Amino acid sequence: MSDTSTSPVGDIPVSASGAPRDNILERSMEERRSARKERWRLLRRRPGFIIGVVIVTFWVLCAAVGSRVVPYDPFKDLDFSNMQKGPSGKHWFGTDELGRDIFSRVLVGARDVLVVAPPAAIISVILGTILGIVMGYYRGWVDNVLSRIVEAFLALPVVMVGLLVLTITSTSDILQTITFESRKLLVIYVVSLLFTPIVARTVRAAVLGERDLDYVVSARLRGESNLFIMTREILPNITGPIIVELTVRIGYAIFTVATLSFLGAGPQPPSPDWGLAISEGRVLLPANIWWPVAFPALAIVTLVVATNLIADSIQAVYER
Amino acid sequence: MLRYIVKRVLLSLITLWLLATIVFLMTWALPSDPARAIYGPMAPEETVAAFRAQVGLNDGLFVQYLRLLKSLVTFDFGMSWANQNYGVIEYLKSPLAKTAKLAVLALAITTPVAIGGGLIAAKYRDKRADRAIVLTGLATSSIPEFVTGALLAIVFGVKLGWAKPVYDSNAASKLGPWGQLQYLALPSLSLAIVYFGYIARMMRAGTIRALDSDYVRTAAMKGMSSSEVMRKHVLRNAIAPTITVMSVQVGYLVSGIVGVEVVFNYPGFSNTLLNAVSDRDLPVLQVAVLLSAITYMTATLLADITIAWLNPRVRLEVTN
Repeated sequence: MSDTSTSPVGDIPVSASGAPRDNILERSMEERRSARKERWRLLRRRPGFIIGVVIVTFWVLCAAVGSRVVPYDPFKDLDFSNMQKGPSGKHWFGTDELGRDIFSRVLVGARDVLVVAPPAAIISVILGTILGIVMGYYRGWVDNVLSRIVEAFLALPVVMVGLLVLTITSTSDILQTITFESRKLLVIYVVSLLFTPIVARTVRAAVLGERDLDYVVSARLRGESNLFIMTREILPNITGPIIVELTVRIGYAIFTVATLSFLGAGPQPPSPDWGLAISEGRVLLPANIWWPVAFPALAIVTLVVATNLIADSIQAVYER
Repeated sequence: MLRYIVKRVLLSLITLWLLATIVFLMTWALPSDPARAIYGPMAPEETVAAFRAQVGLNDGLFVQYLRLLKSLVTFDFGMSWANQNYGVIEYLKSPLAKTAKLAVLALAITTPVAIGGGLIAAKYRDKRADRAIVLTGLATSSIPEFVTGALLAIVFGVKLGWAKPVYDSNAASKLGPWGQLQYLALPSLSLAIVYFGYIARMMRAGTIRALDSDYVRTAAMKGMSSSEVMRKHVLRNAIAPTITVMSVQVGYLVSGIVGVEVVFNYPGFSNTLLNAVSDRDLPVLQVAVLLSAITYMTATLLADITIAWLNPRVRLEVTN
């Protein structure tokens, strides 16, 4: 990637129309635009990327309008006549232990994970980027102290700690009447907080590769403030690693949120959440009733694999 | 080398202290009343108050914090709160051994397959075999463990009946090591599948780097046969980064195993940790979380030392 300040000084064409500085700026903007176009062209040629986008779009559509198009009411009351029926023409994915249509529940269930995982990933990338830039730019004791804390967090088992914090807070006196929405917010906060150190480590490494380059040195010589150098000079040059980290993080967030739901720390019944559905249907497995588990499980598989295909393609294009 | 090790160990001790602080903040400082949680809402206030006094919950936060730090030095973690006849360590011993059994089995299955897969992928780089292996690895390592476990339980446990879909402690304890395999096969296979992706990916990258190197070209030009080049030059150089990944995986095994243990009802470390969360068994919780963090830290430390031992440049960088 190139930036204004990395252009060799000898190249400055002095035109009559404007100052040389404007010219360089213009040219580098042009370069950046064409690089973006080129990356986009390469992305579209990757089958993995296309497949991933198609699947993710499908689930996003389900999350958005699923409740209006599904054939049956996913929250229907107990229906004794229809309990635990195998897949059939009437109920494509069968019915669950309460007689609800699993196909409808799987489609609507996309919503629970998609409103939680991507926001958690985005928050963690924002916080981690701030932390990582500060650590990499200042180095010295700031970096040393923060690095130790980051390392300590990295050693913690994410799912376990998430579960611990969620269980303790959701049954405490303050949050005794914890609502559906506030529980989701809580999951977003906890997951984003646990992911922040991981992002910070990646961003720090990227900043270390930039901080001693000429453009940073010259900005410092120009007398720019530290804040300006960090946000206007270094940040634009590490967008590649940050975008890659974001897509990878969304995949891990889906992984973590699904596992937390499965362990009972996410949405509560009667939510059609996939992780929760697997945890509810699990006890029926030994009785050869496999469909309440299989279809939500396959839904998770398609979503995480699709997200990772996208992440992998973006990474390949950026690290070309 | 010694200087490098001493420095790394000292840094790890600082991280450990930070970890203990984080865990303390999470368990003690979060709003909750563990004594009430253990005895339930119906228990008379006197019983709960007596318990609070007995375990020192009435002491100031700082006193409790110092007590935790002291227990880390003396290795005296006191008694489990939920099962008051057991010491914490004693209580965790058997589940830890069970988890270790699963982990060893999973690594034994996955290591040869993943290393072989990585080698084949690198050898046929960008051909169909490579694409298939890379894609499989990407998919299997991004799917949450509990989903893999659930799908395996359905296909091989319920549908084909090759192995038991749910662990049964009573039945398994009566069987010899070979008989137990029918219970251990699916849980350990689920873990093995998740690890396959990570290990194969590292092995592939390491092999490609070695294949592109000058020394391999020289060896080939000397007239060494290609299998000899593979064995004598490529494999040796490619396996070092793979060992790192594997040792980090071992650290991760202890905590990442949670989904598998829950899906199969396996009475291992994670299930014990989960019970401690719902019982508010704080002493067990702290020790268990710290133990998995320490396992991860030790594994990373050992990996770093191995790398520094193999590559003098790394250890110079750190000691200077």
